[in-house]
Amino acid sequence: MIEVQGLTKSYGDTVALNDVSFTVAKGEVVGFLGQNGAGKSTTMRIIAGSLGASSGTAKVGGFDVAEQPRKVQAMLGYAPETPPLYTNMTVGDYVRFAATLKGVADVDAATKKALSRVGLDGVSHRIIDNLSKGYRQRVGLAQALVHDPAVLVLDEPTSGLDPAQRIEIKNLIQELSAGDDRTVMLSTHVLSEIEAICSRVIIIHKGKLVAQGDLATLGGGAERKVHLELARPDGAIEVLKRVPGVTGVEHDGLRLVVTGERDVREAVAAAAIPFGLLSMQGQKLEDTYIQLTTRGTA
Amino acid sequence: MIGALTIARRETSALFNTPVGWIALTAFTFIGGFFFTAMLIGYYSAYSQSVLNPQQADQLSVNEWVVQPFFSNLGVIALFIIPAVTMRLIAEDRRQRSIEILLTSPVSSLEIALGKFLGGMGFALVMTASTLPFMWFLYALGDPDTGVVASNYLGFILMLGTLIAMGTFASALTENQIVAFMMAFAGGLFLWISNWVVQGMDDGPLKTSIDYLSMLKHADSMGKGLLHTQDIVYFLSFIGFFLFATSQRVEALRWR
Repeated sequence: MIEVQGLTKSYGDTVALNDVSFTVAKGEVVGFLGQNGAGKSTTMRIIAGSLGASSGTAKVGGFDVAEQPRKVQAMLGYAPETPPLYTNMTVGDYVRFAATLKGVADVDAATKKALSRVGLDGVSHRIIDNLSKGYRQRVGLAQALVHDPAVLVLDEPTSGLDPAQRIEIKNLIQELSAGDDRTVMLSTHVLSEIEAICSRVIIIHKGKLVAQGDLATLGGGAERKVHLELARPDGAIEVLKRVPGVTGVEHDGLRLVVTGERDVREAVAAAAIPFGLLSMQGQKLEDTYIQLTTRGTA
Repeated sequence: MIGALTIARRETSALFNTPVGWIALTAFTFIGGFFFTAMLIGYYSAYSQSVLNPQQADQLSVNEWVVQPFFSNLGVIALFIIPAVTMRLIAEDRRQRSIEILLTSPVSSLEIALGKFLGGMGFALVMTASTLPFMWFLYALGDPDTGVVASNYLGFILMLGTLIAMGTFASALTENQIVAFMMAFAGGLFLWISNWVVQGMDDGPLKTSIDYLSMLKHADSMGKGLLHTQDIVYFLSFIGFFLFATSQRVEALRWR
């Protein structure tokens, strides 16, 4: 549904995006990860047609964004990090405005549906200026999905929200992506959100694509580490080193990190139990992410 | 086109949802009414002096004494007020990032430019309509020439259109509304007075061309009730040029 090919964007001498290519299949929910300034927003804006690429192409549904932007925009909903709101309008008027602008046939019905999807039914008569940040973020989402787009591009939809609002927005995105065959691409800093919502992850760092793949693959990590916390670590190191497949054990007080050449979680767990296993974690997306994005920045 | 009208409707109603539109409209009608009253008094005293001289009284025309100078003064007020109305059209969208919803909706840059311009025109029409009671007053008490009144209205609206098109362009150039105001005001003032500057010059192509640029000259000619194609073309070409420039500028915003 989204095909990005050799996308490059430079501002003068600064290269914000360097030869990034990826595809997102129809119905997929993809997490877009990267540090601040990695080029996430730039990529998303290019796909949404509010920014031109220096070179490379972005296609949505087979249409080149640079050549047929209106075609792309008619089937794409984009929610930038800062919701593009007219704050002196009421919520209902604003969403109605968005619906008309996007060429929706039945504006009232579409507005009503979008408002109820994002849980704004009760506040449609309120002035946007008087809403909390969480509600504004929802108005931004309502604007993006009012024309029932096949593709949703969401730039940090949960940024700046409190934990309760975060969970609400997260659930909302989950609802939006379930069924419907909608393709969703979302960026966030919060890895647990990606783990909860997305089936696939794309990681970019300093404008370059550094990893992409299924959550399971990237979550498993290249180095296959197991983090343990033991009540009595004495003697455990020797025992764990003898577990088949284990290549190394590091320890720091009660905590041990076991490195294996394959998935050694089960064997390590069994071997660790006599030493009072308190907790165990396999390598998570977070580890992969930190590994990939701290290169050369230290 | 639906996109342009949608944007236009939102812009006009936004002006009246905030104090900006109401304050501008109040200032316009108040100062305009002040001028109108002053002209009526001037006309009345000239009329009373000429009572003893019937020939002179016949030459006293309400068109010349009230209608024409009234519209000419309204033009000066508009010169100040319109930039204050147009400065936010695009600059505010850019600063608040709300421009993003326009740029990512299926509307072209020309539709955005046209929508913003028409949004300003919506306000200009309300402004123009606010002068109708003054004209009603003239018709009730005197006998103004409807042709001259209509020609003045047309000239005034075209002039507002030119100022708004220019203001919309200025607003697209910067995120800073004050800067947009200054640019639009300077541009309007230049067009207004450019024929004063060349009055002392020898006749020649330079004088003719600068003279042609003067909005005052074209507005004056329409104020006399003369509908020349060249005056209408003058205003329409300015409007067209600045609309095109604005759409190019909006297109450029997508590429930075």
